[in-house]
Amino acid sequence: MTDAAAPSSSAERRSPLIGNRVLLTLVVVCLLGVGLLPFASMAPNRLVSGQSMSTWAAFAPWQLVTLAGLLALLALASFAHLMPRRPGHAVALAAALALLALDFVALGGYAHRALADASPAARVSQGSAFWVLLFAAGLIMIDALQRLRPPPVWRALYAATALTLVGVCFATDLLSPLSIMREFANQRDNFVDQLTRHLALVAGALVPALVVGLPLGLLARRRPGARNVLFSVLNVFQTLPSIAVFGLLIAPLAALAAALPWLREVGVGGIGAAPALIALVLYSLLPIVRNTYAGLAGVAPGTLEAARGMGMTARQILWRVEIPLALPVILSGLRIVTVQAIGLTVVAALIGAGGLGAFIFQGLGQYAIDLVLLGAIPTIVLAVVADFTLQLLVALSRPTRAGQG
Amino acid sequence: MIELQGLTKRYAGKTVVDDITLTFETGEFAVLIGPSGCGKSTTLKMINRLIPASGGRITLGGEDVAALPVEQLRRRIGYAIQSTGLFPHWSVARNVATVPQLLKWPRSRIDDRVDELLAMFHLDPTTFRDKLPHQLSGGQAQRVGVARALAADPEVLLMDEPFGAVDPITREVLQTEMRRVHQQTGKTIVFVTHDMDEALSLATRIALLNDGKLVQYERPVEMMVEPADDFVREFIGQADLGLKLLSRRWVHQYQRPPSVAPRDALPEPGSHWWMIDDAGRPTALAGARLDDEDAVTRVKAEWTATPEMSMKEALSRMVWYRVMVLPVVDESGQLIAEVGMQGVMGIERGPGANASSTRAAGNGALSDNDGGDPA
Repeated sequence: MTDAAAPSSSAERRSPLIGNRVLLTLVVVCLLGVGLLPFASMAPNRLVSGQSMSTWAAFAPWQLVTLAGLLALLALASFAHLMPRRPGHAVALAAALALLALDFVALGGYAHRALADASPAARVSQGSAFWVLLFAAGLIMIDALQRLRPPPVWRALYAATALTLVGVCFATDLLSPLSIMREFANQRDNFVDQLTRHLALVAGALVPALVVGLPLGLLARRRPGARNVLFSVLNVFQTLPSIAVFGLLIAPLAALAAALPWLREVGVGGIGAAPALIALVLYSLLPIVRNTYAGLAGVAPGTLEAARGMGMTARQILWRVEIPLALPVILSGLRIVTVQAIGLTVVAALIGAGGLGAFIFQGLGQYAIDLVLLGAIPTIVLAVVADFTLQLLVALSRPTRAGQG
Repeated sequence: MIELQGLTKRYAGKTVVDDITLTFETGEFAVLIGPSGCGKSTTLKMINRLIPASGGRITLGGEDVAALPVEQLRRRIGYAIQSTGLFPHWSVARNVATVPQLLKWPRSRIDDRVDELLAMFHLDPTTFRDKLPHQLSGGQAQRVGVARALAADPEVLLMDEPFGAVDPITREVLQTEMRRVHQQTGKTIVFVTHDMDEALSLATRIALLNDGKLVQYERPVEMMVEPADDFVREFIGQADLGLKLLSRRWVHQYQRPPSVAPRDALPEPGSHWWMIDDAGRPTALAGARLDDEDAVTRVKAEWTATPEMSMKEALSRMVWYRVMVLPVVDESGQLIAEVGMQGVMGIERGPGANASSTRAAGNGALSDNDGGDPA
């Protein structure tokens, strides 16, 4: 991007009018969304579709003024001539945080007002404009963070602030009248159960995948002969569609459970957690093995020669040199696999493994969108949080990490 | 002391090191040199058993290296390589401390040793201890690499083309430092290079290898003067040997009495005269111009020589200022002698000298030089 508004005169002449096209586009998207799309909808009960409410109708006057102010500030930050580059990104970060909060506060406020004198069965749901503002705020944050490139600690602090803000919105009474929150209130115990189950499935897949995958990656590094066979086999697993694998595992596992009663007693069967875990482990293996191999193979030959020449034992070289240097790549593999497992576990609900996918498929069956969202949103949040956390770990595990140069 | 006895290495039927027998004496700075693929690196790596030998024996201070536990052996031998091999995730201090840590030295002793070594290589410990390798320049990284190799005070230091990847100016600085470190520590060093200039500037002894065989193991000047065969002659000759020899010769070894002219007289064709002022300083040179035999050239300080000047420098001035002869002056600027192109070539036409006596003087200078070599 040529978004440099450098103070030198020659650069100034060449610097474009618009410093940050992404930001400006997102502001335009926000305006279009707010102008054309419904912000919320109200229905007499949970099954019928509701009546749309525009942003103008749903927002309180001070909220409209604030929204206009924030969007104007963001537009201002996108023009190179009006705002220097780095302060511009900082302003965008702050304004996006405010936009996020405003989005929730306006929705909650509207729900409280609308339901004050309505029947108890009436429902208020968020509309497309709400989502547009939410995702635009998220994208502005990501874009500004990438341009600003703050040290990992600052990135983590910012993300924690954004999460806390959202957390506060959910923890207080603000959003409780919303349809999705009522769905949540009805399903609270069930939700906690399924969330725990979801996390247990992900962890239950990742731990064995790491226990098997890391040594396999090492084997691939040490034995070039084994490498090709290993990667071909793992590639086959990776190409199979997940639904097909879940389906394929039903018959053999059911037969196995029938033949060996003790297996059935520990919970192995054609459906349920067993096939889900097997499939998740298989899918997780290739990225872990491949990244472990790539990380180890990426250690410079000179470094290894020096380690041997200094008189390190093979074990010392592995633990003190190879693994620390391969760690960023191995963690990148873990990141891919974690995000992938969180998503695949949703599908595993189809074969009775439970997890957040259960809400999604139940909601689809009942045409209850709020129930679908109750499964989908936490899944997305889990994936994003896992991704961000592991990215942070990857950055911290780099020997040449920023902030020390 | 390291002894190689009939050392041989075969890869898949091909002999890359062929029956090499030689002794690196204690305190020697031995350079293994030869064209690429001659087996010099393989020979070096067989000493610390990074490459297992196919035949023959290596003893380190009388002990057969094959009989020692391999990690123990390597911790007794310093090792520095071209790519530095610094551990990129460790600070400079921790890199240098690698072998002392493996040997489980106490913490305080390690810290002292790290500071001592960094100081030895002119790297300020307070600035450099905590830097990561990627924050160092090429020359600094290479110094840290050598400091690390010396950390546990090894009996022997093996260096595999350590300065091969740095720029020529840094390389010269590093070579100077290496010579100094060798003098300070008195370590036995075995150093692999393919660069004859580097070998001549560092070595106390050069082992020239070709096709896996040892061709000649000799002190540098002897090798230059008495190459064992045409291969050695050609291999050394590639490195501007003539100029290199001149850089170790001095004007006072080649100068001859000046021919001073009576005032304003012109020299006969083919000869030349110096004109001097009342203080005995040369003012002009009649004749002996490369482009114009009869010209009278005003003497400038830029093209005078002193007795202590190297002949390489004198030759350079002659070529640049296009004169066949330079005045040699003392500190007061008085003309005491002259040195000319013919002197460089060892051909004398001047009074009191003939060709054979000049050559004898030249050889005498060589043997003098040999003893006083700065390495």
